[in-house]
Amino acid sequence: MLRTAVLGLLLALCGYAAAGWLTHGFQVWTDEGARRLEVALQPVEAPRVAVDGPGVAAPDLPALLAQGGSVTIADFIYTRCQSVCLSLGSSFQQLQAALRADRAVGQGANVRLLSISFDGAHDHPAALRAYAQGLQADPALWRFVRVPDAGQQQALLRRLGVVVVPDGRGDYEHNAALLVFDARGRMVRVFDVAEQQLALDYARHLARSAP
Amino acid sequence: MMRRLRCTPRTQAALGLALCALLAWPALRQALEASMWRHMVLQFPLLMGAGALLAAALPSHARSAVARWNAHGIVGLVGVAVVLGVLMVPRALDLALRDAVAEAAKCAALVLAGAALRLSWRAAGLVVQGFFLGNMLPMTAVVGQLYIDAPLRLCNAYLLDDQARLGQWLIALAALLALAWLAQVGWWMARREGASTSLAPDYP
Repeated sequence: MLRTAVLGLLLALCGYAAAGWLTHGFQVWTDEGARRLEVALQPVEAPRVAVDGPGVAAPDLPALLAQGGSVTIADFIYTRCQSVCLSLGSSFQQLQAALRADRAVGQGANVRLLSISFDGAHDHPAALRAYAQGLQADPALWRFVRVPDAGQQQALLRRLGVVVVPDGRGDYEHNAALLVFDARGRMVRVFDVAEQQLALDYARHLARSAP
Repeated sequence: MMRRLRCTPRTQAALGLALCALLAWPALRQALEASMWRHMVLQFPLLMGAGALLAAALPSHARSAVARWNAHGIVGLVGVAVVLGVLMVPRALDLALRDAVAEAAKCAALVLAGAALRLSWRAAGLVVQGFFLGNMLPMTAVVGQLYIDAPLRLCNAYLLDDQARLGQWLIALAALLALAWLAQVGWWMARREGASTSLAPDYP
């Protein structure tokens, strides 16, 4: 009986340790929560994937993110989207308005917006241009790119922890979020779509405190 | 596990091995894991079933060695509870999909849990069985209700309606298992009253 008690206790402790590891010390219960926590603790380098888009002249994603030494708030979209991306679109429109207002009063923080398509096969630069115009995007502030190579696109999604699931009705479900990249092209924070103001304030702070 | 299977231990072990191989087959694994409810309500019990079948291959001396460390089946049932409890964390499902080590650990844990359940169930007796189910089944039902009520997707890889369906399945499964166990207890008690000579519980 003593042996049973000791072994049972040991097993329970193993279970506690496993659960603690899985939930980062009982802080997060979902993989999305773990992803956001891990990014905050350990920034993720953007992989060298080739990108193209309307008015974009950069060989790859890190080069694009490093242009002008600006902090970037990025999201993932696909132009055929009728659900989450529309709300992401409108929250990016609000971010753009806030950044313009910053510049108008001469307190412009070096923050830019970037929408990355995960539907590279369909979202050619022309489609992205039309989509950007529909959202009244200011090309100086808000750019749109796709990753033309399917393999590189997969690598990018995997590295940044973006999971795209077809919803069976021709659309995609994805873990939409606001990704903040620093001027060195590292993803430093992931914010929920609802935390738009927080993402903006964080990006402004990062841009102003950068050397 | 609870049923008395007619086939010999060797056939059972072979069946268990075949089931393991089948479940490890990529096409079937992907089909089961493509949906959240199939992942949890089909793949999990099938892996445990394979483990239970494999446990038949254990020779009797190994079985008695296990029993010495497993009085009243407590260690085995604690192990099963730990495995199922940890695997109910939504992150475990996502992690199993994108990390091969996590997937292997999940499958191994479930096979072992199935074997442990079989080796412990009879030794546990009604009281320990009741305690085990009295903890596990309400936990399953509560997790199911959470999955139904959650307005957000808890797993990046699965859709919201899939998550709600899993919740309904978990509640149904908990209710069915509770009813099955109560029916079995009722049957034992009726039989014991019939055979009034013996006072000791004499369930199989």
